[in-house]
Amino acid sequence: MGNVMKKLAIGLVVGGILVGVAKALEFPFVFQMLFLGFAMLGAAVFMLLDAPPLRTMSGGKSLCALVAFYLLLCTVYIAGASFLPQFDPEDEKGKIAKILKSQIDASEKGKTEELIARAKALDEQVKALEVRLKTLGVDQAVPAQQAGIPPAPTTSVATGDFMKLGEEQWQLMECYNCHKLRGEGGKKRGPELDNIGSFLTVDEIKQKITDPKSFMAEGFEKEWEKGRMPDKFKDLMEPKDIQALASWLGTFKNTSVNTPRPIKKK
Amino acid sequence: MKTWQRSLIVACALLALFSGVAYAQTPGLSAVEFPYTGNRTAVWIVAQLHTLFGAFVLGTPIFIVISEWLGYRKQDLRYDRLAKEVTKVTVILFSMTALTGGLFIFVLLAAYPQFTSWFINQFYLVFAVIYPLLFIGGTIVLYAYFYTWDAWKGEKKGRHIALGVLLNLLCMVTMFVINGPTSFMNTPLKAEGISVQDLLAAASLWDKIANQSWMPLNLHRIDGNVAFGGFMTGMIAAYMYMGAKTQEDRAYYDWMGFVGNLIAVGATLFQPLTGLLLAYEMCDYDFSFCPYMMADQLSMFFEMQGAMIGLMFLAMNYYAWLSLKRIEGAERVRMTILAPIVMVVLPFVMVAVLNVYWIPDPKSLLFLLPLILAPFLFGRFIPKTVSARVVIKIGFLMIIVSDAIWLTPRGFAATGANLVPGLEMPSDWDILASMPAKISAIFTLMFATVVNYVLYNRAIKQGTILWGKIDFTSQFVLILLAFTSIWTMGLMGAVRSLVRKYFHTYSLIPDFTAESFTPTLSYSAWWITGITVVFFAVVSLAVMVALRPSESKGHVPESAPVPARAK
Repeated sequence: MGNVMKKLAIGLVVGGILVGVAKALEFPFVFQMLFLGFAMLGAAVFMLLDAPPLRTMSGGKSLCALVAFYLLLCTVYIAGASFLPQFDPEDEKGKIAKILKSQIDASEKGKTEELIARAKALDEQVKALEVRLKTLGVDQAVPAQQAGIPPAPTTSVATGDFMKLGEEQWQLMECYNCHKLRGEGGKKRGPELDNIGSFLTVDEIKQKITDPKSFMAEGFEKEWEKGRMPDKFKDLMEPKDIQALASWLGTFKNTSVNTPRPIKKK
Repeated sequence: MKTWQRSLIVACALLALFSGVAYAQTPGLSAVEFPYTGNRTAVWIVAQLHTLFGAFVLGTPIFIVISEWLGYRKQDLRYDRLAKEVTKVTVILFSMTALTGGLFIFVLLAAYPQFTSWFINQFYLVFAVIYPLLFIGGTIVLYAYFYTWDAWKGEKKGRHIALGVLLNLLCMVTMFVINGPTSFMNTPLKAEGISVQDLLAAASLWDKIANQSWMPLNLHRIDGNVAFGGFMTGMIAAYMYMGAKTQEDRAYYDWMGFVGNLIAVGATLFQPLTGLLLAYEMCDYDFSFCPYMMADQLSMFFEMQGAMIGLMFLAMNYYAWLSLKRIEGAERVRMTILAPIVMVVLPFVMVAVLNVYWIPDPKSLLFLLPLILAPFLFGRFIPKTVSARVVIKIGFLMIIVSDAIWLTPRGFAATGANLVPGLEMPSDWDILASMPAKISAIFTLMFATVVNYVLYNRAIKQGTILWGKIDFTSQFVLILLAFTSIWTMGLMGAVRSLVRKYFHTYSLIPDFTAESFTPTLSYSAWWITGITVVFFAVVSLAVMVALRPSESKGHVPESAPVPARAK
């Protein structure tokens, strides 16, 4: 018992000092608790080191102890994993649906679904026509428009929406993981982009997105040589999405931010 | 289970594989909806179980043949008994590997028919010819190896060991072959300026197999399987020790746990290095993997991995500590003062050096190698020494410090997008969350463990081990190590799959199903725990079936007097 009390006291003192130092250095509360946790873990480990030996158990007792031990391990591991911050899949589901929309439409599955939908629409229209023919008489011509083929969808995006689409692409493609923009994201993996519009035209930004080796940011020679910027966006993104992202980035002309100068390589 | 029953299971599994390959050729297959689990989790469960059984039957033969060879060389029957007992369990689990493998193909085909058809066609020769042939060859050699054990003794022992080596070669090639398609899903072929589809159309089978992450995955899995074999042997030994009725049996199973743990520790020391190599190659393939793993959706999975590995290092060293307590004369063992000094300064020096000379810049080695080797090279020239007890306790302290460095994240948020000031580390202390800090923590864990085991080895040589007198707590430590290592394997298996994001094959074949999102860590932990428990239940049953009858028949008296001097 003396061993436990002594180690516990040392753990609390060390933990208290760590919390105090962390507080003084402006670490958030959650970090202060983490450091305290490590001090207590240390105390527990040193308690175990000096604990008296466990006596050999009989077969039956061993079995019970073993089952209890497995239950403890399962509980601790599940609880430990659940205690950590959890990523909300709902955040990602919408993103994935947007990213893959064009590919789903182009895929066999998408085509099949579209064909089924068209067949259903045709079937309904044929039925409607039959009813109409019965009431009007069979000699009336059927306009081509009513023959079942739905009009092609028209997509027109206003300028504001276009910029919104560009910003959305920034989020969907997770560009913020490497590039800082408006003070958010980026961990020095890629250049800060707040002034990129002053250096590159929209077409040049587009070229950089589709072919990352086409421009090299000053000070990012190693990253450029290693091909750190993935060469996959031309395959992942629709041309209009790339255009939207490039146009949106082209509006960033904040000269107070030190965006590194891009050097043309191709 | 009789041989014909096991053979029947293997034949059924092969039939399932061939049927799967043939079925994959059928056009217009539609997916089945798995109730309760959903399709992705159903595939996950079967795939992970197959991987675990596969790791057991691929990893333990390495362990077995080394043990048999040691027994032959040292003329110590204990090694031979150890090798044979583990082989008995392996033979039973070989059938489970085949069974889960066949099931895996079926579940995959049922859940993702379009993708599976495409995938099997990409590796048609592997799935239809090479893998089945290797599997049949492996099965025949394993049975031959097991059933010739008693017949090929004495002068014929060399022949038997050669058969074991052949078994290992077959197992190794099998693993290399199947790692091709596995790694291809993460890092398929790519070349600048050529579309992936065009590249794939022109690629040979070898081009697809030898992709960028193939060899790192092979190395990581070879090393992992040896560690796995060691930990599983430790677990079998712990079970048998707990159930042992005589002191002689206790002495033997204490020794078996000691050998299993020693080999597992040796292999585990290399695990972080091969793991880092795999991560490095993946990030080199596509740099967006890196932030996704370390700073985005998977960051807390890595936090959990850090906790698990930290726990394993603590447990490995605690086992050595408990072992040391039953060595007579261990208190006389001393070590140069340089060892604890290096242990204490290593994480800090390493962070400073790696901040200037980051990997793969070899200049960092100019500073770090002399520091790490100093206790072993210059220790004898420094008269000041410290007791083993003090060195090991300092080692434990540094293991906890290293765990703290490893587990301190940049922020307590599941993704970088959710980071707010109240959860983020002050920017002045970013260095604590940097990669140099994490790598220095890993190396300190490794260094402290090496020093502790060097001391342990010295104590064994200078003192007398009282086999069968180890603290009973040590048996729980062996079980904890086995359970934790398998849990961590499950976690990292999930990470390797999730890193592909919403693709079946990264950047090539998208997953259009509603389940292609990243699941929560908590959800994953439930399933990983469930899979680990099922695996443990089957292995425990196999141990009972394989090793209990031998006790009733009585085994050959072993050359292990109690207490025995370990040499």
